[in-house]
Amino acid sequence: MKLLIVEDEQALREETASYLTERGYLCELAGNYAEAEDKMLLYEYDTIVLDISLPDGDGLQLLRHLKKHRPDAGVLILSAKDSLPDKLEGLNLGADDYITKPFHLEELNARINALIRRKSLSGTPEIKAGEVLIDTAAKTVHVRDEALTLTRKEYELLLYLILNQNRVVSQQAIAEHLWGNSYDMADNFNFIYLHIRNLRKKLRASTGNDHIKTMYGMGYKWESA
Amino acid sequence: MGVGMRLLQKINKAYLVSSAVVLAVCSTLLYFILQRQAQLEIDEELALQEELISAQIAQGQMPSFPLTDVRQLNSTARPSTMYGDSVVFDRLQLEHEDYRYLRSVKSINGKTYSIMVMDAHVGWADYYLTIFAVFLVMALLLGCTGLLVNYFAARSIWQPFFQNLKVYRSHSVSSGSPLQLQPSNVQEFREMQLALQEQTQRSRQEYLALREFTENASHEIQTPLAIIQAKLDRLSQYPISGEMMHHLALARDSVSRLSRINKNLLLLTKLENRAFEEKEQLDLRPLLQAQLDQMEDLFEMKHIALQTEISATALQANRYLIDILLSNLLANALRYTPENGKVSIRLSPERLEVANSGAPLTLTEDQLYARFKKGRANSGQSTGLGLAIAKGICEAHGWQLRYRYSGEEHHFEVRFA
Repeated sequence: MKLLIVEDEQALREETASYLTERGYLCELAGNYAEAEDKMLLYEYDTIVLDISLPDGDGLQLLRHLKKHRPDAGVLILSAKDSLPDKLEGLNLGADDYITKPFHLEELNARINALIRRKSLSGTPEIKAGEVLIDTAAKTVHVRDEALTLTRKEYELLLYLILNQNRVVSQQAIAEHLWGNSYDMADNFNFIYLHIRNLRKKLRASTGNDHIKTMYGMGYKWESA
Repeated sequence: MGVGMRLLQKINKAYLVSSAVVLAVCSTLLYFILQRQAQLEIDEELALQEELISAQIAQGQMPSFPLTDVRQLNSTARPSTMYGDSVVFDRLQLEHEDYRYLRSVKSINGKTYSIMVMDAHVGWADYYLTIFAVFLVMALLLGCTGLLVNYFAARSIWQPFFQNLKVYRSHSVSSGSPLQLQPSNVQEFREMQLALQEQTQRSRQEYLALREFTENASHEIQTPLAIIQAKLDRLSQYPISGEMMHHLALARDSVSRLSRINKNLLLLTKLENRAFEEKEQLDLRPLLQAQLDQMEDLFEMKHIALQTEISATALQANRYLIDILLSNLLANALRYTPENGKVSIRLSPERLEVANSGAPLTLTEDQLYARFKKGRANSGQSTGLGLAIAKGICEAHGWQLRYRYSGEEHHFEVRFA
């Protein structure tokens, strides 16, 4: 899978690329409008992560330009502005998703994954981690061909941890993923703990393994191996 | 129109008082001038009559006119002429009447005569009353027409003023359109319009500059925050000691809090700048239901009994703000309800009420909506902006957010007016 990351802030661009590369994506970078325009018209990408506030041009203009030449390219907008008109304009112009800074890289990864699954008709909607198999189309989980019944939140939590497997995912990232970031309650980590405990209980009963590792004060990590 | 009418009344009052003074002065003057003219006229007539009498005496007749008295004097008195006023009793009308007389002593054909002719002053008292009556009618007519002219003319003159006042009042610098005022041919109003238009233009420019600044500030802060967050996430991937983990966790919490505070402050600033003018027809029921679905597990885990009574509620509202209002009120209830407590939510076309059990407030209602005020226990890492934002959102829609504590429950009520 090939991604283009358009972001003018070097540290953020490189950190994002570094994590997404770890996740198995082939990342190309662009730090300004001109560079991004060149690359996106020259090559084909599965998804373009686009910061719409660029120093040398309007990211939305870039999006318009891109959609004219490559109407089926997946686009995920990165914006420092959490404002509805911007979001609506972006989505109307053909962007597939919109994420506001500051964001968690795990969230970006999960969104890119969802976007690619939505976009590619040929691709398999199944995600496998060890003995656990998630069917993202049917939203079901199987362990060694046996169905595992999860609540909606448990399912979302499991998918999120598996998509970001082998990485410590912070409680803040999990809270925002499960309940959105408008609840102003990212500090109430008891709730996450309770979901993790239930999920762990169910998984242990069917797999016999404990894949979810608790990193004290830091978050949780899915280890397949 | 209250103040405007008062201004009209003021002008009318001054106009009426000055008219009354002018009329009083004129009527007095008229009275004296008329009196003097009439007297001169009478005196002339008396003199003529005396001449006629004298002529008759000279021809040897002894005239006998009414109201005349001719006597031959023995003495050789010196000739004289004298006018005077006297009162004669009128036997018919049984009252005293004012008379003017002329008494002259003159010698005719060598004899000395005293001639007195009299004439009645034509009822001066009546004249006085007549003049007074005429002027009173004049005063009344002037007053009435003045009032009518002022009322109708002023209404048409003031009409653009009131129209413009209305336009100006409902104008917001954040609305895209410039201030559109009705033209007036009154110079004062034109000057005021010009001043208002300039002022609005300036305010709008300052507002746009401020908004641009706010957005730039937002961008400038959000990006470094994103970098810090990404780097802290990166750091926490390395094998590190428990002590370091602790420091890292604290740093991450603070970054997360800072980013929430920044986001909320921006939202508040935008609310104050009335940046959310777009409203659409919305049904609140599915929006509230979606939020409740999202938070259901949170209430459950705190063993909070959730009671809902939700009916379809169509409103003109801003979609983005409604989501925030609902989530802020729900999050507030979740945060401050003790374990095994109770939360009830009622939505009807008139109002939305979120009630939760809990100990009474240590804050006043005003402090409740003040920014960064966190008086209650277990407020944890709340930004202290949630209710301030909820209040701001209600104000942006012209709704009222009310709080009361009754039956050991906190009630937050949004009245859709």
